[in-house]
Amino acid sequence: MVNFLQLLVLGLLAGGVYVGVGVGFGLVWGVLNIVNLAHGALVMVGGYLTWTLFTRLGLDPFLSLPLDALLLFTIGYLLQRGVINRVIRAPLLFTFLLTFGVNLVVINLLLLLFKSDFRSVTPSYAGAGLELGVLVIPFTRLGALVVALLLAAGLAFVLNRTRTGLAIQAVGADRDAAQLVGIDLRHTYALTFALGAACAGVAGGLITLIQAITPTAGEPYTLQAFVVVILGGLGRVTATVAGGLLFGLIEVFGQSIPGSGSVYANAIAFGLLVLVLILRPQGLMGRLR
Amino acid sequence: MLRAAFTTKPTEGGRRWRRLFLLLGGVVLLYGLLAPLTSLDALQSAGFPLLADKLWFRIATATAMFVVLASAWNLVGGLTGYAAFGNVAFFGIGAYTCGMLISRAHWPLFLALPLAPLASAAFAALVGVPLLRLRGHYFAVASLGVGVAVGEVIQNVEYRGTPVFGGSTGLFLPIFSVDNRDLVFYFLMVGAAALTIGVTWLVLRSRFGYGLIAIRENEEAAAVMGVNTTAYKVAAFALAAALTGLAGGIFAQWNVFINQENVFPIEYNVQMILMALVGGAGTLFGPLAGAVFLYMLIQFLSGSLPVSLDLPFLPSDARPVLAQVILGLLLLVTVIFVPRGVIDFFGGQSRLSLAYLRRSLRETSV
Repeated sequence: MVNFLQLLVLGLLAGGVYVGVGVGFGLVWGVLNIVNLAHGALVMVGGYLTWTLFTRLGLDPFLSLPLDALLLFTIGYLLQRGVINRVIRAPLLFTFLLTFGVNLVVINLLLLLFKSDFRSVTPSYAGAGLELGVLVIPFTRLGALVVALLLAAGLAFVLNRTRTGLAIQAVGADRDAAQLVGIDLRHTYALTFALGAACAGVAGGLITLIQAITPTAGEPYTLQAFVVVILGGLGRVTATVAGGLLFGLIEVFGQSIPGSGSVYANAIAFGLLVLVLILRPQGLMGRLR
Repeated sequence: MLRAAFTTKPTEGGRRWRRLFLLLGGVVLLYGLLAPLTSLDALQSAGFPLLADKLWFRIATATAMFVVLASAWNLVGGLTGYAAFGNVAFFGIGAYTCGMLISRAHWPLFLALPLAPLASAAFAALVGVPLLRLRGHYFAVASLGVGVAVGEVIQNVEYRGTPVFGGSTGLFLPIFSVDNRDLVFYFLMVGAAALTIGVTWLVLRSRFGYGLIAIRENEEAAAVMGVNTTAYKVAAFALAAALTGLAGGIFAQWNVFINQENVFPIEYNVQMILMALVGGAGTLFGPLAGAVFLYMLIQFLSGSLPVSLDLPFLPSDARPVLAQVILGLLLLVTVIFVPRGVIDFFGGQSRLSLAYLRRSLRETSV
C-alpha cells in the first residue's frame, strides 16, 4: 500500500515534465496542424540555456525559466515566420520532414556547441525532499510539477482570455474565416509556434533538474509528447495536462513491473498509443472534430 | 501534388534534359555492372585495372540497399500517400529472420533468404490492418512507434533468462564462404534493387497501382469508385515490407553481425523517405536517383569516400556532425523549393529555373 502510494506520487511528479513538454506540442499541432518533430530539440535548447546560466553565473534553475521561455519564443517566432510558414499548406509529409530537418540542424548545432557530454544542474537542494510519514517527495520534482501546472494554466489563460489567444484559436478553427475577419495569418502562426516553443523552453529548464542532458536527450520527449497529446485529446490544454499526468503514472507503474518493465518503455508507450488511437481516437478527454 | 512522371508530352527543352538524364543513368548503370567484374581473378590476371576495391564494394552495396529501401517506401509513401515512418522495422525483421535461421538453425543462405521477405510481409499485414485505419499524422507516428517498439522487443525479449534473439550482444552469422564474396553480395543487393524497381514498374502500370494512386488523391472517392481501400493499402504495405525485408536478409549475411543498432536505426526511416522525396516520390526512378545521390552525399560529407571535404578550420571529429547539419538544411531546401523531387526536371515538363523555385515556394506558403 505504501509502495503503491509512493509510486502514485512519483508518477504524478514524473507527469509534470510530460505536461510541460506536451502543452507546447499540442498547441502547435492543434492550431497549425504540424507535428513538430523538432520539439524535443527545442526543449534541449532551453535545457542548455539553464545549464549555461547555472554553471557560468550560478543562477538558480527555476529563475532561468523565464529566460528559457523568452529565448525559445524568439527562436520559435523566427523559425515559423522564416521557414515553416513556407510549407504550411503542403501535405503533411512535407511539414513532417521539414520539422525533422530543423530537428537535425538544431541537435547538431548543439553538439557542435556543447559536445555530447552529459550535463547536469545540481542546485544545493537537489537531493532534498519533503518527507510525509513514509512518503518521500523530492523538492525538484515537486517544483517541476508545480511550474508545469502553472505553465499550462498560463497558456490556457492566454488562449481563452486574451485577444491574441482568441485569434490563435480562430486560426486553428478556420483559416479562411479568420483571415476574413482581419487576423494576420503569418503573424498569428508565428505567435502560435513561438508560444509552443516557449513552453518547450520551460520544459527543457525543468528537465535539467530531473536528468542529465545531452543534445539528443530531447528526442524521446518528442515521441512522448505525441503520446501525451493523443492520450488526453487534441485541442485543449486541460486534456493535455490530464494526458501528461496519466502518462507519468503509466510510465512509473510500468517500470515497477517485476522483470523487465523498464526496458520496454517505448514499447509500452507506443502500444498504449496505438490502443488509444484505435479504441478512442479523440483521446480520453477530447471532443470529436 | 505528387504526380506520376508520365503524364503529358515533354516540351522541347524538357526533352534535352530527359536525354541528358537517360545518358547519365545509362553510364552509371554500365559502370555499376561492369566495374565490379574487374575484381574477378581471371580479369585481374588478364591485366585489367582494378576498378572496384573493398571500399567500392562496401559503398556500392550499401547504395543498392538504400535503393531498395527508398523504392519500397515509395510504394506506401509515394504511391499510396501514407507517410510510413517505421519501415525500418521490416528491414530489421528480415535481417533477424535470416540471422536466426542461419546462425541458430544452420540453414543455408539461399534457403533462409526467401523467408526474410515472407516474415516481414506477414508482420506488415498483421500490424497494417489496424495501423492503416489511421490517417495523416496519426499513421505516421504510430508507424514510427511500431518501428521503435519492434527493435526494443527483439533486443529484450527473453525466454527463461536467456535472450531469444541474442539480446544486446546481437547475432553473429557464420561467414558465407564463397569466392568473390563482395561481388556476390553486391549483385545480390543490386538484384534486390532491380526487383524493387521492377515491382514498382509493374504496380505503376497495373489496376492495383491506379487504385493506390486513387487512394492517395482521395480515399473516399476511391472507395466510392469500388477500390477496396483496406485490402489495397495493406497489400501495398506488405509488398513494401517484403522488399525491405529482403534487403534486411541480405544485409544480415553480408554484414555477418546484426544487433538492434545496425538493423533498427531510426535514422534509416528518415533517410529512405528523404531519398524518395529528393528524387521524386511516386515516380519509378525518383527514389533510385535520390538514393544514389543522397547516399553518396552522406558518405562524402562524413568523409568515408576517397575524395572528401577538407576544410582547414574544421576539426575531423566535427565532420559527421556538420554532415548532419548539411543534411538537415538540404531537407529544408528540398521540402520548400523542390517538393516534387529532382525527377520533375527529367520528366520533360518542368525546367529548373528561378520561376520554378518561386512557384514552389508560393504554392505552399501563407
